[in-house]
Amino acid sequence: MSEGEGIEPQPLPSPQPVAITPQPLPQPQPMAIAPQLPIPLSPQQMQHVATEDIQMATAETPVTGQARMDTAWGSSEGDEDISEMASIGQTDSGEIFKQNYEPWRGELNPRWMRNWAILRHHILGIFKKGHRPWGIPTRIFLVLVFFASLSDAALTLLSSLIGDAEFHSFWGVNRDNLYGHVLGFFPRNVMYYPIVAALLVGGVISEDRLHGTSALYFSRPINRFDYVGMKYASVAFIQAIIIIFTLFLYYLTEIMAFGRGWAWIVDTFPIFLGALMGGVLLIITYTSIGLALSSVSKGKFFPGIGLLAIILGTKTLAIIVKNLFDREILYLLSPYDCLAHVGQTLVKTQPTYDQYSWTWSLASLIVMNAIALYVLSSRVSSMEVTRE
Amino acid sequence: MALENLNLDIKKGATGLLGPNGAGKSTFLKTILGLIQATSGEGTVLGHDIRTEGAAIRARIGYMPEYDALNPDMDAINQVRYSGELLGMNPIIALQRAHASLQYVGLGEQRYREIKSFSTGMKQATKLACAIIHDPELIIADEPSNGLDSTAREFMIDTLINTVKQGDRSVLMASHLMDDVERVCDDIVLLHKGKLAAQGRIEDLKAIDREIEIHVWGGASKLEAAMIQRGMRVRREGRVMRIAHESEELTSEILLCASQVGAQIRRMHEYEASLEDLFLVIMENLGYDVKSSEDLFSHPIHARKVDAPGHMGGGAS
Repeated sequence: MSEGEGIEPQPLPSPQPVAITPQPLPQPQPMAIAPQLPIPLSPQQMQHVATEDIQMATAETPVTGQARMDTAWGSSEGDEDISEMASIGQTDSGEIFKQNYEPWRGELNPRWMRNWAILRHHILGIFKKGHRPWGIPTRIFLVLVFFASLSDAALTLLSSLIGDAEFHSFWGVNRDNLYGHVLGFFPRNVMYYPIVAALLVGGVISEDRLHGTSALYFSRPINRFDYVGMKYASVAFIQAIIIIFTLFLYYLTEIMAFGRGWAWIVDTFPIFLGALMGGVLLIITYTSIGLALSSVSKGKFFPGIGLLAIILGTKTLAIIVKNLFDREILYLLSPYDCLAHVGQTLVKTQPTYDQYSWTWSLASLIVMNAIALYVLSSRVSSMEVTRE
Repeated sequence: MALENLNLDIKKGATGLLGPNGAGKSTFLKTILGLIQATSGEGTVLGHDIRTEGAAIRARIGYMPEYDALNPDMDAINQVRYSGELLGMNPIIALQRAHASLQYVGLGEQRYREIKSFSTGMKQATKLACAIIHDPELIIADEPSNGLDSTAREFMIDTLINTVKQGDRSVLMASHLMDDVERVCDDIVLLHKGKLAAQGRIEDLKAIDREIEIHVWGGASKLEAAMIQRGMRVRREGRVMRIAHESEELTSEILLCASQVGAQIRRMHEYEASLEDLFLVIMENLGYDVKSSEDLFSHPIHARKVDAPGHMGGGAS
């Protein structure tokens, strides 16, 4: 009741002590100066409206009360329910995941272990999952060629079972057959070994370029020499299983099936070694040329087709020139012909290239390998870590 | 791009590596990975000489490349395991660590899937798992959040932050996304034309760009002219103006100008620069007319000046 409203004056009550409790001053509130909108909007809608207005308003926009307020302050009063907005971002997705960084205090093994990892990755990829993913057609073809390469061993075994000497002379171990196992033109160096090499070298380096996986190697403590050396060794090793290992099985089959003694082994072992060296030369040459082609491309098709074209194309060209002009000189351009010429010398079988010395072929092989290895090394040196 | 007169001391923790295209970021990364021989000068990474001990450096660094570096036909667990074997880890240990690393980067449930079925975010996470499999002391992340959607980007950034804070590892992060760098890193290194343009704590560098922001109503152009006349450095975007905070009396001077021209100042506050702003200011100082860092990163630019100003670490006056 305020003073002066009473009808009759009443005696004033005796003064009582008044407990004055200091009250905190009200917090300054932002002035609510936003205009009332005709339709009540949700905070999100209001925010949307304000954003649109701000985007549209420029210095030259005609001034209206609402535009002015919207531009300067936004149209909302700042009374949005923040807890409601925050809860949107905290929606539980139901996923159980706790991110814990687990330290590791182990020791890294030295260089040989890293190189072994590369070799193992490529070789085991032929046999099992989890390593280099060779294509299924490649794996099937390798198995087929492996068994096809053992055909002479199988027929040697058969001849021992039949006991026919003429049959054995046709398939058993001798100079011509040891040479033929490794360097015979048809079918082995037309349908088997060049295609095996083409399938193997096709993607070994080019796919690292394609997928950028070279960065995986070079950002590790692996140098270029180890990288290319282990790739080379792994491709050569797989070819060696097919060419050298089957040669060994062929020789072993003759010994086991016919009960050959030491005298026979001593007599034939140099021929076997000659064939083995011819096989090694073949593997080195095909691998060098194939990897050089792989290092200059970004897919497996070009290196594969390129290798086949070089091996079979130059051979075909040499045959054509020989038949037309009776000159053998162009065989020096053919890797297969050079290998065959050197191989015939090593095994000491009847030479079919008799116009020139075998040393020409050896020199040509050395030049071919040198060029291929130069291309390979220069291209691998230029492979990038940050961008390919 | 050759690096020249680059004198850097990168501290433990997270450091952002910034610079426009051609600034020398990739060259810098290759140099500290020991893959490029420095023709002059010297440097050490984790105590190893960059000229002679590249392999030792790479054994202690985890590198996450910007571009695809995964075999799409391999499953994630074996890809990460192989990356560990390439460091010299025993295959069994590498497999155990691959499981732990993929779990850490959020791919625990997808680790047996082929990488070609992965999204960009999952591939980035796999690359990070490859980088951290041996628990390196320094992780070099080249554009870790490039091309990711918002969810994957958040997760990648959180993972890097967690690696620094919980794992106590150092991260050197090269990125075009300033927000990401600002969230992860405490320090930045800004390269330009193979030279150091700026280096330091982000908070300290931001002080270069202190401004007062005002929202003006009525007579904005007059106010701008009046302020410029009084020697103030003004940047204007419509009714919002930012004035370089160069003197303590700046607030009074702005209000004085406003009263003289009859303009209303509706809001006035200290403007806290973002890393993007800082980047643009530095680039402006280097002589570029750019509107955003995107302009700078996406288009080759022609330098009017090559060196950064002296107070930013460069050679120009």
